[in-house]
Amino acid sequence: MSTYAFMRWLESTPSRYDRGMHLLSRGRMSRVYDRVAELAAGPGLRVLDVGCGTGGVTLACAARGAEAVGLDRDAGMLEVAAAKPAPADGSVEWVELGAAEIEDRFDPETFDSVVSCLAFSEMSPQERAYVLGIVHDRLRPGGRLVIADEVEPTGAGARLLYRLLRIPMTVATWLLTQKTTHPVHGLTDAVRQAGFANIDEERPWPAFVILSARRPS
Amino acid sequence: MKLLDSIFDTAFRFLPHRSKTGLFPIGDPDRSSPVIVTGNYTLTVRRVSKALQGEDVWLLVTDSRGINVWCAAGGGHLTHHDVIAAVRTSQVADRVDHQELILPQLSATGVERNRVEEATGWHATWGPVHATDLPAFLRRGRHAVREERAVRFPMSDRLQMAVMWTAPMVPILWLILWAISGPLPAVVGAVAITAIVLGLFAGMPWLPLRTHRGLLVYGGLALAGFAFGAALFTAAGALTTRNLIVLAAACVVGTGIVSVDVAGSTPLLSSSVNPSDFRVELLVDRCTGAAQCVLVCPRDVLVMNGHVHKVEIVRPANCILCGACIVQCPEDALRFRFDDGRVVEPATIRRTRLNLLGKRTIDVT
Ligand code: SF4
Repeated sequence: MSTYAFMRWLESTPSRYDRGMHLLSRGRMSRVYDRVAELAAGPGLRVLDVGCGTGGVTLACAARGAEAVGLDRDAGMLEVAAAKPAPADGSVEWVELGAAEIEDRFDPETFDSVVSCLAFSEMSPQERAYVLGIVHDRLRPGGRLVIADEVEPTGAGARLLYRLLRIPMTVATWLLTQKTTHPVHGLTDAVRQAGFANIDEERPWPAFVILSARRPS
Repeated sequence: MKLLDSIFDTAFRFLPHRSKTGLFPIGDPDRSSPVIVTGNYTLTVRRVSKALQGEDVWLLVTDSRGINVWCAAGGGHLTHHDVIAAVRTSQVADRVDHQELILPQLSATGVERNRVEEATGWHATWGPVHATDLPAFLRRGRHAVREERAVRFPMSDRLQMAVMWTAPMVPILWLILWAISGPLPAVVGAVAITAIVLGLFAGMPWLPLRTHRGLLVYGGLALAGFAFGAALFTAAGALTTRNLIVLAAACVVGTGIVSVDVAGSTPLLSSSVNPSDFRVELLVDRCTGAAQCVLVCPRDVLVMNGHVHKVEIVRPANCILCGACIVQCPEDALRFRFDDGRVVEPATIRRTRLNLLGKRTIDVT
């Protein structure tokens, strides 16, 4: 087993996650949640949040009237999510499930939107391709996919700065949230290969992307 | 490079070290070769690969967040979700004709075997505790004998753990000692602390650390370290009161740090993270003799009584409260019971693993 302090610290990850993320993103993460929800959610829409963690995006979607389902493999994260007040308008459901198990629980074409924040960067390229294929099929034709995640900046100068800051940022991220964020490479191509179209990207800051796409009708 | 990696991983093994996940060939595997599951802790992957030299097998590396299999499973960082994801996304089904997985036995606190089987359609068998037993396990037709189901903590492993403790601690204490008292006391203090940790791990199997005599053991070790340091000062002709005070402080601080939870970094004792006033309880009426618990217990606590077709707790003192038996029992016939009567049901353990004292909510009734 592990050492006392280390174990205790790992155990408390879920309850510290939101604060850690807020600090690391310098307060910008809640605006990302809102923007993702704005793109994906609306009254009566059924939204699946893949790797919902402590539920920031799921709750933002529900606040816009959606029937949101937050899915995560980590029961501790879900407990923190479930303890947050549910919005009055929409509904939320929390499901303990891995992203690669979506097909075991949800039938094809059952969601209007699928969203995901900082979950695809935790997957290997193989997993990413697999999960994108599955969520494509769970979306009804014309349904929307919105992924918010860390990426490398496009400009050469910004990329250099980003790479220089990567090691201290990785250490800080791990210390605060026990997550390792890797920039996602080739996300747009992977999304296209999974069969999505109308791909749009916005960058709330140079090292972060909010990608939206549609399953063709 | 490999040697450097190994030294780094051993010295800093309390930190996660992630390796690539996915399916990797060892030797020249074919469509009938075994598929062995492990976690993506670099040291584990290297050791399992080394132990399997000469075999032709597939290694399915799951995402244990760069943490070793046992700690990851106990902390909820390696569960059946990760094994299911690995089976599906690695496309191992396209590489072999069979549907047989060999799971690491020490993942049993986190990985629910029946959930893996239900979700993947693959049959899963528990492999041996130690990777070095894998070749014999395979040769025997994927069957582990009793000795291979129990953890061993030989001197070589204990010394590695001593390195794990000293590598980050001693340089820091050495720097502090240097700053406050100069080079010689710093070196002697560092050597004394190293000796204390080495002595602790060398004598580990015989020291009653998790009992009320634990405090005496730590006191004795600190005293022995102090005596050793004093001898070094004498040899160096520097036996002054000031040096002895610095040395005493160093020994107390060093021993204090390891005493916080040295038990939890060994496979022989339960972690101090958990309270010590609870045990595993067997609800005999519920036991149907499935004996899944016997297969996963790493401390040989449980045996199957063939006459009554029920499991029995025969060596309760060995139990390290890892929870593996509780998680795997298909009848929920095992649970934790506190001395004051409260119980922790299997459903709670399956949800929170061993995070009993963390901030996660648990329903102890
Ligand atoms: S009896 Fe104790 S050591 Fe054995 S599996 Fe159960 S909790 Fe672990």
